[in-house]
Amino acid sequence: MRSLKLSSSKQKWTSASGKRPPTRAEIIRTTFLTVMMLIILAPVVWFVLSSFKDITDLSSRPPKILPTHWAFENYTEAFKMYNYKRYFMNSVFITTVATLLTLLINSMAAYAFSKYNFRGRDGLFVMTLAMIMIPLQVILIPIYLVVSSLGLVNTYWGMIIPAAATPTGVFILRQYMLTIPDELIESARIDGAGEFRIFARIVLPLARPALAVVAIFSILWRWNDFIWPLLIAQDERLYTLPVALALLNGQLVVPYNIVLAMSVMSIIPVLFMFVFMQRQIIQGIAQTGLK
Amino acid sequence: MKTKNKVNRRRPSQSWRRRLTPYVFIMPNMAIFITFIIWPALRGIYISFFDSTDGRTFTFVGTANYKAIIGDPTAIEVARATATYVVFYVLIATTLAMFFAIVVNEQKFAKGFFRAVLFLPVMLSPVVVGLIWNDVLDRKVGPLNALLEAVGGGSPGWLIEPKLGMIAVIFVGVWVHLGFYSIILLAGLQGIDRSLLEAASMDGATRGQIIRLIILPLLKPTTLVIIILATIHGFQSFDFIYTLTGGGPFGATTLIVQYIYDHAFQVPIQYGLGSAAGVILFMVIFAFTALNFLLGRKRDAI
Repeated sequence: MRSLKLSSSKQKWTSASGKRPPTRAEIIRTTFLTVMMLIILAPVVWFVLSSFKDITDLSSRPPKILPTHWAFENYTEAFKMYNYKRYFMNSVFITTVATLLTLLINSMAAYAFSKYNFRGRDGLFVMTLAMIMIPLQVILIPIYLVVSSLGLVNTYWGMIIPAAATPTGVFILRQYMLTIPDELIESARIDGAGEFRIFARIVLPLARPALAVVAIFSILWRWNDFIWPLLIAQDERLYTLPVALALLNGQLVVPYNIVLAMSVMSIIPVLFMFVFMQRQIIQGIAQTGLK
Repeated sequence: MKTKNKVNRRRPSQSWRRRLTPYVFIMPNMAIFITFIIWPALRGIYISFFDSTDGRTFTFVGTANYKAIIGDPTAIEVARATATYVVFYVLIATTLAMFFAIVVNEQKFAKGFFRAVLFLPVMLSPVVVGLIWNDVLDRKVGPLNALLEAVGGGSPGWLIEPKLGMIAVIFVGVWVHLGFYSIILLAGLQGIDRSLLEAASMDGATRGQIIRLIILPLLKPTTLVIIILATIHGFQSFDFIYTLTGGGPFGATTLIVQYIYDHAFQVPIQYGLGSAAGVILFMVIFAFTALNFLLGRKRDAI
């Protein structure tokens, strides 16, 4: 609804005359877009509906669109069985700790890159940019060997630390911190504030928009990440939601209707985040072109 | 870099403690970079010349791993599947993203809603994507085949026949990433000066002419970005394919990253061979990125 009001108050280049009844082109376009969006949404809607079906409904042929009986017990069962709470808490823990760690070390590095002059700064910054080009998948084996030689396989830290320092995060934060006036930092120094105090009390609050973007990407990525936790979490007690869903489904130890309910529940947190932070997410992607 | 001017270039004349501060600030981040990105990247190149089945003992084999990959019929299949996937994925994803971006940009009614729907699949975990499409594409109880049967289209085995498996994987790949590219393009479209478009339409240009002669050329830098991103994403595709088809049917959707993964983490473990495949993948991605970039630049010059 808000977008409706917004768009009608603004003049778009497509319509020279603001407030007149929709033209035929507009009607066709809206209908077309609605149909396309339904096609894009349909699999997700189908999936959510499936999560409310019982086993008989799920295997009925031809498939039923709506469940004959709404099997809410899929959800209650999921919570009772299979350590679901444990996987959920693992995901929450790893996502939270990893994101906080990323924000802290990325912003510290970004602060040094943007507001200090030191030997090797430009070289290190170029190196950081170059790292954006190395895809994790390519160095999966050697990273795994490093993690394993440090004894971090099958630990939370093994899942959290290796990807905590993101080159893109440093880049986004550095670009943003460049816009913070040096005078502000200088005057705090003259007032006798220590370097870390300046960073924590002045720079971090001012960099909040950029921190939000980095946080959102970190949360999305960590929550959904699959390969890395799959490799590191070998003990079932360390499984994150995606790992648990993939393995439980693959091993057929959990009834399919329960797996569906678990999957739908795993989408809800990111969906919430998207609804509330849509603007930041979209701006962040638009500005940086990263995931 | 324009932004450089803003950096405080004055060398601080303060004590050594003050001079140490920036290093303290970048230390944690750089330590992780070096330990978990740079060192592994270099080590990956190094171990691609060795043979190792346990990650502890390494036997030098020279270029044998590379030769083994080139001579491996499976690897040739993987290369073919990867090439097919990347070509169709990049073409379809960028064309559709461009199309949707232009249409949504012109849209006034419920623009934000359409944009949000387009973006929804981007936020799903690859595991959930795999589950969703396994459900939808199921040969017997999937809704897609139910629809097809209703119109007399038979019930194709989407995840059972190799060719259809590849089509399904390309389609799902596009479905997942479309919103991401569209949003980058939408931002590019928003940056186009509206007075230009209004002037053109006053001069009697048709909608098609405006798109072809003004919007597309002005959007070229953004288009280049999404082509580069799509190429990189295409070559790196693995996780949702792994959960959707597991690389099957009959290896038809096993792409290069899964080849690396399989050699590293499935018995018989061959770290050296997997690393060599990783080095090859990196060189291919690098070459294509450079090529895209150069072609984009060259056409600008003309």
